[in-house]
Amino acid sequence: MNTQTHALFLILSAVVIGSFATADIPRTADGKPDMSGTYNVGTSTSMQRNRIFGDNRYMTEDQAERYARVTQSALQGRTESDPDREAPPEGGDGSPGAAGNVGGYNAFWIPRDGTTSVGKMIPTSIIYEPDNGRYPPRTEESRKRMASRYRNYRQNNGTAWWLENEGPGPYDDPELRPLAERCLLGFSSTSGPPMLPALYNNTKRIVQTRDTVMILIEMNHDARIVRMNSEHVAPDVRKWMGDSIGYWEDDTLVVDTTNFTDRPGLGGATRNLHVVERFTRVDEHSLLYDFTVDDPSVWTQAWSGQYSWPETDERLYEYACHEGNYALGNILRGARILEADAMTAQGGE
Amino acid sequence: MKVPNLTIALLAALLPISSAQAHHAFGAEFDPNRPLLIKGEVIKVEWVNPHAWIHISREMEDGTTESWMVEGGTPNTLLRRGITRDSLKPGIYLVVDGYQSKDRSNRANGRNITYADGTTLFLGSSGTGAPRDGADPRDRPR
Repeated sequence: MNTQTHALFLILSAVVIGSFATADIPRTADGKPDMSGTYNVGTSTSMQRNRIFGDNRYMTEDQAERYARVTQSALQGRTESDPDREAPPEGGDGSPGAAGNVGGYNAFWIPRDGTTSVGKMIPTSIIYEPDNGRYPPRTEESRKRMASRYRNYRQNNGTAWWLENEGPGPYDDPELRPLAERCLLGFSSTSGPPMLPALYNNTKRIVQTRDTVMILIEMNHDARIVRMNSEHVAPDVRKWMGDSIGYWEDDTLVVDTTNFTDRPGLGGATRNLHVVERFTRVDEHSLLYDFTVDDPSVWTQAWSGQYSWPETDERLYEYACHEGNYALGNILRGARILEADAMTAQGGE
Repeated sequence: MKVPNLTIALLAALLPISSAQAHHAFGAEFDPNRPLLIKGEVIKVEWVNPHAWIHISREMEDGTTESWMVEGGTPNTLLRRGITRDSLKPGIYLVVDGYQSKDRSNRANGRNITYADGTTLFLGSSGTGAPRDGADPRDRPR
């Protein structure tokens, strides 16, 4: 076989192998990969890589086994409690984070399904770019913004502590409250973009036509509408989930999103956020979801992540957030009462 | 620098999933200075997002009852586990520990909700779902 024939043979082989590799994926009538389906995108893979893994993008077999054990035990929950127990401690139970010193709800409310693998590998983090699997450093502008936001943060102590500070308090106006609390978007950038795994309700449904791709996000029942082969709307038009346009790059669906509001679903991001998502149908049962985030006013470089979207037989349930959102009223009423208490105490001195 | 134990590192990586984020911070709504224990029968359950609410006829020390509401998590997860609105019927006796809401209405967070004998219907443990908080005397040491 001469060199030219050898080269031709290699090319033909590649074409044949390539066509076998993609032959099993479902396709629409126009030959494009069919992304339609219902997916459970829950995963216990952390967003950022623990520094213990360094630049290693995937776990070793031993690490993966231990990881599976720890994951299972952390989400197991218990089945009994002391029926003769007392009320929890006065002053709070020390719960961190959103549980805010009063406790939250336990593991039974948290689904234990979802996947951690990408192909046969277990990633050490969702973020893979930069190489250390962690968010890149923030810009000076962003650091100042965060410092100002958190300067007055206090752990929940059951008082109107914000009255000691200058300026508006965090409970002065419902529009100052987080988007999730107002039922505008689900938390943890579940609707994104980028669409990230959350504590629960990680079901997505994709409906695909030639001109439009719709992604329905269970929490809070938000529909992202991706216009295929289109252009972005005018820059002064701003949307909660941005303006998404799509195109095909070979067998990959690329979705480009800009035109965010000042408060995108992605924590810390600004109206300058630009997200590029890539959906690839790996096989009949799963997609690979890949995304790149660029917001030069927040991060010093763009960053990318990736995780699997396995199809599920489960249904996507309705999520009427506003109708049952008693919490927002409770929160605002509670703040008014604590403020009145503080005023009374001050007047009494 | 001492390299952290892998298991602890992995567990630490998992914790933010279960404690840092939710529809709203329970700390914004409930008062750590008003702990309470509620015992009584279920009146009804509001099977609604973003959080389910269980209405309980609370037995007071003087023998009277008061109507209280207890906040849980999202009902969607429970539906996926085969638990429906019929699983928690009126008349079932529950024991709840939590904290009263800051607005001092008869609302509390369902920090821990169990049957009268300590077994669980669908909540099952004290604490936030992630770390053990020592509230349950039968906690095994880590």
